[in-house]
Amino acid sequence: MLRKLFLMLLMLALVSAFAVSAQDEAQYAGLDMDLSGINIKMANIGGGQYEVMYDAISVFEEATGATVEIVALLDGFSMDQKLKVDFATGAADYDVAWDHTSFVAQYTPFLLPLQDYFSEDELAPFSPAILDAATIDGNLYLIPRHADISPIHYRKDLYEDEAIAAAYMDATGEELTVPTNLEQIDRQARFFVENGHSTLGYTLAGKEEALTGRFYEMHFASGGSLFDENYEPAFNDEIGVAVAELLASWYADGIIPSDTTSLLWDGVAQYFCNNDVAIKLEWYGWYAYFQDADSCAVAGNFGLARGFTGLSVGGDAVRPSGWAGAHAFSVPATAPNPQAGVQLIKFLSSERVAYEEALLGFLPTRSDVWDRVIADASDAENPLDRERLELARIQVGEDFKTPPLIAEWIPFSNIFYPHLQAVILGDASAQEGLDAAAEETREMMADAGYY
Amino acid sequence: MAANSNSPRGKGAATRLVEVSRIEAGFFPFALILPAVILILLVVGFPLLYSLYVSFTPYELLKPNSLNFTTARALRNYQKLLNDEVFWRSLLNTIVFLAVTVNLSYLLSLALSQLLSRVTVGQSVLRTLLMVPMMFAPILVGMQFRWFFNANLGLVNNFLISVGLIQEQGQIAWLVDVPLGMITIIIASIWMNIPVMTIILLAGTLSLPSETFEAAEVDGASGWQKFRFITFPLLAPFSYIALTIMSLDIARAFDIVRIMTDGGPARRTEMLWTYITRLAIEDTKFGLGSAMSWITVFLSVAFTLYFFRQLVKARIVR
Repeated sequence: MLRKLFLMLLMLALVSAFAVSAQDEAQYAGLDMDLSGINIKMANIGGGQYEVMYDAISVFEEATGATVEIVALLDGFSMDQKLKVDFATGAADYDVAWDHTSFVAQYTPFLLPLQDYFSEDELAPFSPAILDAATIDGNLYLIPRHADISPIHYRKDLYEDEAIAAAYMDATGEELTVPTNLEQIDRQARFFVENGHSTLGYTLAGKEEALTGRFYEMHFASGGSLFDENYEPAFNDEIGVAVAELLASWYADGIIPSDTTSLLWDGVAQYFCNNDVAIKLEWYGWYAYFQDADSCAVAGNFGLARGFTGLSVGGDAVRPSGWAGAHAFSVPATAPNPQAGVQLIKFLSSERVAYEEALLGFLPTRSDVWDRVIADASDAENPLDRERLELARIQVGEDFKTPPLIAEWIPFSNIFYPHLQAVILGDASAQEGLDAAAEETREMMADAGYY
Repeated sequence: MAANSNSPRGKGAATRLVEVSRIEAGFFPFALILPAVILILLVVGFPLLYSLYVSFTPYELLKPNSLNFTTARALRNYQKLLNDEVFWRSLLNTIVFLAVTVNLSYLLSLALSQLLSRVTVGQSVLRTLLMVPMMFAPILVGMQFRWFFNANLGLVNNFLISVGLIQEQGQIAWLVDVPLGMITIIIASIWMNIPVMTIILLAGTLSLPSETFEAAEVDGASGWQKFRFITFPLLAPFSYIALTIMSLDIARAFDIVRIMTDGGPARRTEMLWTYITRLAIEDTKFGLGSAMSWITVFLSVAFTLYFFRQLVKARIVR
């Protein structure tokens, strides 16, 4: 009798534990509709880690009866070009499209507003800052997938060496601590290079939207704004000139690489990976690559800190940098099966799929996923794994700042970055280069009907 | 009863028959090529005319309503381009790139074709090896040369560092500095284009009449004199064909430039086609991009006409 009672209690305990653990598991969403016979087409970003998420689609297909056809897998800039051409020619016959907070403003006439398809409860877990960036003229045009923002990456060996710290104190009269503002970065980067402690002091991507974004970030952190309230160019102000002059002096003095103006993200990351760079602002997404000792000399030798504040020329307006963006999903207005597309987006942005993607190193956009990955990292062998996530959560929550949400962002960038490159390379002075960019930008904005 | 062909009535009927058959014979060949003509008009003619129309409108890809022709602003795109410093710079860059690449490719191909024409053993192996660059897609050639000239990891800088010609801190920014950026693109283009040109010139060289050379030898002409006064003039038609094909091909060089420098930095290597792509696709200004395309089409036609005139002259001389 006692034995029977013991077995029953044991079974009850097991069932309860199973129920609790099932409830504790991250859940899928979007599986509650019968979509039998529907073929959902999706045009999405591809390459490397981005495609791991799509393995989960088989779960969606099995539960709903729909089939999912991936009609495009391209990198972000190629997707942008595809979407523009497809929207223009009416060829966007897919139900789900890759999107990005930096690009969405230009597509809005061709996208389905999504606020009526998602309940408040469904949107509640997503970062409010990212949902704000996804909302234009009161319409929600995209559902976030993952986010990215940049912390300072620094080489730990340079900050842990007492001899270097003493020499820095002698040279500058200040303690060598992880920098928090651009002027400190400037002083330290120069010190490390001039005294042979590091081949390079700093790096940044030097072309296309990547350069425009990095300038925007430095200008913003220094208290500036690319445009004023009437969308008149404002980047050629005193702050903009100071930022451009800083970049030009870094190039002239060998603080940044000689091929800076031909570098994009991978090239910049490679310099840091080689242990050649003292300090840099870098996306969180490169973390796993930098920590891979087989690929990177810097593995185990770097730390992270919150993005810098800007130059003191901005006075009290200086603030933490935070150029950020989020990959996301949208539904084209011409989608043959918009409701089915929405269901697929609910599934792909669900807690479970987002959590699985976050395990690959991407920054989540959902608070419930943040809780999970931070809890997971608490037992990590490397304490930086957890510090990184905690820092990233603060930055995404407090510093997340998209570029101006205007359709002209990319055309503006295409005008702006060659002029800034000319300044960096010494082909033009900072004021000349920024003034020329401002004049062309003004003409472009006038053509677009802003004034 | 059949009409007698000798009778006046019969003669008339026969004449009519001949006329009808002449008309039919005249129409028949046209009827045969009509499907091809219609297809070409649809596939080539219509898009060309449509893009000409678009070039007179302010059309932007993501603003369908902007595809709207108005007389008042019909020429605005062309006016804008003529006042656009970047357009002129990209045109100048394209002309420099074209002139240097075509001429250097020609000189190297001419030398290679003369050397190859004298090889008696293993000529087929050499010709096959010569064709290797043709087997690569331009995009791959661009990626390969971008890696060669990468400042940080590139083959060239690493070689120069290993032989002590430059220091690690003094890496040469091949794809950035003036004029190195343009030179690296030219080197990549020459590498890719030499095979076709060499094959054309080699075919021309092998087709030259041997009697002329034998007579020159009897007269005691040196090797250089035979090349200067016989081979080179007689190769002129082949040279013009090769130059025309290569000019048009190189003028459209897009992939290599796009991959290696993307027209940068600071527009230093901007070419017409990279600028057109930036305007029409990235900036979505399709009207402006079409206008620029048409200006380049006119320039290309003028260039081709010039070469064909030279070709005709060369044939008359020959």
